[in-house]
Amino acid sequence: MEEKLIKISDAAEILGVSVDTLRRWDENGKLTAIKKEGGTHRYYREKDIEIFASDLFKFASDWINQGEEFPSTFYCPTSAVFQARLVKMERLLMEKPGFEKLYSLIVLVAGEIGDNSFAHNLGKWPDTQGIFFGYDVKKGVIVLADRGLGILETLRRVRADLSTHVKAVEVAFTEFLSGRAPEKRGNGLKLVREVVLAQPIDLFFTSGDAEIYLKGANKSFRVTRGPNVVRGCMAKINF
Amino acid sequence: MKVKLEKFGTTLLSRELGSEAFKAFQPTLLELSPSDELEIDFSGVLTLSPSWADEFLSPLLERLGERLVLLPSDNLSVQATLKILQEANKRPFKFR
Repeated sequence: MEEKLIKISDAAEILGVSVDTLRRWDENGKLTAIKKEGGTHRYYREKDIEIFASDLFKFASDWINQGEEFPSTFYCPTSAVFQARLVKMERLLMEKPGFEKLYSLIVLVAGEIGDNSFAHNLGKWPDTQGIFFGYDVKKGVIVLADRGLGILETLRRVRADLSTHVKAVEVAFTEFLSGRAPEKRGNGLKLVREVVLAQPIDLFFTSGDAEIYLKGANKSFRVTRGPNVVRGCMAKINF
Repeated sequence: MKVKLEKFGTTLLSRELGSEAFKAFQPTLLELSPSDELEIDFSGVLTLSPSWADEFLSPLLERLGERLVLLPSDNLSVQATLKILQEANKRPFKFR
């Protein structure tokens, strides 16, 4: 049976990007199109579009590192849009077998990480305002990312002695200190760490060159220096 | 006086909305007599985050102290959030 082919305009609509972006992605090999024999029009296999759209981590990482465009369905320009999409995810999670109680902690973890991006970059976004928020409840993955100031620059405003991304991320996840001083704040990421350590939830978090991997049954909290310097913050939650 | 938190929404997440809820609650708070307790009922709340709760419950605790009484909840996010807020505020909540 012949596979169903989708026209470029339809593929653009499904992915929420422009036709020009798809042409560019075809030229640079990011998402290769099919051309019928002798023709110049671009087509896509339905399955290819599905697989491409499911690589949430790649979209987020290409966006914060290279400013690459990504499907608009993952973009939350404001906190209100993020909140609305999070509520939608909450409903789906509640219906997932085995997550009848755990759902609220997963929503809490995603909500705190996303809200942090908005709270700390309000009025200070270096370029694109807002966050990437993608999830696949069936596969058990959530990806969040922002092109904001990052943890080090945010916390330096209240802790001028912080000099490395590793130390800054460690402080953010372990100390009751807010980047929005003099407000007495900053408990969200502490709770994220406690919840992830105690529950069957995995977390990868990165800002600058600092990385946190909390994975598997015997998790322990440690911030390490990774090979890449990431713009803003990026998190991947698995459950 | 009893307040059901779900009146402010069932998914209580951001600082911004927690702060809005606290402001909206002020006229009701004025009706609380000096001898009356304020009971917080979490039933119906699906997710409560520490950011939202810090903007709503922490100032209430500061203002009312022992007169703020929290009703029990089996929701995991409510339990985790209340635990961290007590650590952050270095002050326990009174539970019923």
